[in-house]
Amino acid sequence: MSTLVIAVPSKGRLQENAHAFFARAGLDLVKPRGVRDYRGAIAGLPGVEVAYLSASEITAALAQGSVHIGITGEDLVREMIADADSRVVLIEGLGFGQANVVVAVPQAWIDVRTMADLDDVATAFRIRHDRKMRVATKYINLTRGFFSGQGITDYRIVESAGATEGAPAAGTAELIVDITTTGATLIANGLKVVDDGTILRSQAHMVASRGAIWDESARETARSILDRIAAQARARSYREVRTRFPGCNDALLEQARERFGVASPFGAPTSSGMLTLHCPPGAVYGLASFLREKGADTVSVVELEYVFSPDNPLFNRLTAGLGS
Amino acid sequence: MIILNPPAPPERAQSLVAAYEQAGYRRVEPAILQPAEPFLDLSGEDIRRRMYLTTDAEGRELCLRPDLTIPVSCDYLASPGAGTPQGFCYLGPVFRNRTAAPPEFLQAGIESFGREDKAAADAEMLALGLEATAHYGLATPEIRMGDIALFVSLIQGLDLAPAWKRRLIKDFDRKASLAHDLDALSLSADRERPEYQGVLAALAGSDPHAARALVTDLLSIAGISAVGGRSVAEIAERFLEQAALGSASGLPQAARGLIERFLAISGDPDSAAAELRALASEANVDLGPALDMFESRAGFLAARGIDVSRIRFSTGFGRGLDYYTGFVFELAEPSAKVGRPFVAGGRYDDLLSRLGAKQPIPAVGFAIWIERVANGGAA
Repeated sequence: MSTLVIAVPSKGRLQENAHAFFARAGLDLVKPRGVRDYRGAIAGLPGVEVAYLSASEITAALAQGSVHIGITGEDLVREMIADADSRVVLIEGLGFGQANVVVAVPQAWIDVRTMADLDDVATAFRIRHDRKMRVATKYINLTRGFFSGQGITDYRIVESAGATEGAPAAGTAELIVDITTTGATLIANGLKVVDDGTILRSQAHMVASRGAIWDESARETARSILDRIAAQARARSYREVRTRFPGCNDALLEQARERFGVASPFGAPTSSGMLTLHCPPGAVYGLASFLREKGADTVSVVELEYVFSPDNPLFNRLTAGLGS
Repeated sequence: MIILNPPAPPERAQSLVAAYEQAGYRRVEPAILQPAEPFLDLSGEDIRRRMYLTTDAEGRELCLRPDLTIPVSCDYLASPGAGTPQGFCYLGPVFRNRTAAPPEFLQAGIESFGREDKAAADAEMLALGLEATAHYGLATPEIRMGDIALFVSLIQGLDLAPAWKRRLIKDFDRKASLAHDLDALSLSADRERPEYQGVLAALAGSDPHAARALVTDLLSIAGISAVGGRSVAEIAERFLEQAALGSASGLPQAARGLIERFLAISGDPDSAAAELRALASEANVDLGPALDMFESRAGFLAARGIDVSRIRFSTGFGRGLDYYTGFVFELAEPSAKVGRPFVAGGRYDDLLSRLGAKQPIPAVGFAIWIERVANGGAA
């Protein structure tokens, strides 16, 4: 029986968020040999090894197939893995680690608002200065792909290891491609984002490696992990609404579905008139009012812990992506 | 483990290059490992994904040479004879990351520097290229020819905003972009209004020097110090250019029609030249020296015994590399798609300046894909 290897970020907010993400699904990442260990496990789930790596190591390991599943940013996947879709499967965006990879130019460039402006400035710059405009970035491949798509050719990439946003002020580049969350750092450095210069809206993803060995037991372990994650995700996106409503009929249910995005996991009311619905949190009050207007009894609403549905969308996405 | 010596280039390629040496081209063997900078700078960043890159102990980027034009040019510039007319030939491996083809392959070729008799030099390159295909038993390859200088003259001769001229010339080799540019040009009357309408309206029609001074002052008052290598004056100038572009109505349909008619001209060089002359006089655009050069080149080609009627010239033909400035050609299997020629080359008069030459040095040359031409010859 082979072990399913899950790679999790080893430091910073990404690690905290990843831990919280698994914990919410009832999957506690533990380090049996102490907190300094870079290998761990999931409590109560044999057959899983947790590898603590940096986000870029995780991405490389996914590309190579030395881990089955990893948590990493889409920005790194798109930058580091050539032809990413043939080598990894993005199973699910995790809702944290959001950041955009953007093209940013000095605010003083009042003549540059769009990528088309930048294209023209790049050519004019080459003609005037007899050298190409420099773009500081650590996203070499994303930049090249995006610029090529925009028809921009008169530029040079200057690889930047850190503090990219300081490059224009330091005189080592004319503009940058970098990751930003709020844009505050860019503004503080006298830069502005080009209007249509967002290359990628990135977030942390659960990513599976197509090159890993996916035997029966690895798939089975992945299935049970993804089942719990999907159940928890579904639980989080709904509240359980219960009421006694013998007069409820299909037409009313249909109306509730349309107006409030309600699901009826157990169908129409039971013989005693008990009705259970799953409702998006934001629509709860509207639904409760609607039900009572139509003749329902007391309506109670509770949070859900898990909703295990017959299908397993995350696992389906994994198997579809693995292609067998 | 068996260690093999790298195979010597095949005899047939050696004898081809020996013939080029006989014709007066000195054989050179530039280093395999080259600084990456000139390739990225001159061929464009897009070549990066096809190059084998590494770094030396001091962090400088090096590459396995992806072609020999730039290495031969650099060695020539570094030599005592730089600036004088000299011709070189070469044969050796080049390295490119290619899907479905080996990364290492052989190229032979010629580079001719410093000759002022450009039309004759161009014709000689095509003739020497044809010697290569003939050497491999390919009697009648398709000869495709273009001339970027003609398009550049046409655009420079049109009454267009400088920004549009720059863009059309830059996009010449990217046909999809060029079509898009023409659409955008025609629609420019409907374009979104640019930012800073107030300033632009106030400046409309004012004296260019005063306008530039005003914008420069505005930037200074705002405390904006130019960062990123562009001066305030440079930004102001383009800002005003853009303003002019924004207020002008779209490209007259006539100008677009003219560009499209120009790009539709193709055929053998003599009839194309006649069509170009007719178009130029009808539209009152001066194609001047570029067209003279084109006709003179056709004359030299005929004088070299090349059947000019076999040449397929097209005004829209380019080779996708930034550094060509005029004549370009490819010799290919008649059925081969563009981009897989046996022999390809052209004129690149700016290349040596961009590599650091103090004076402009004319340059023309071509490369031969040895494996391709050898297989084509066998087939």
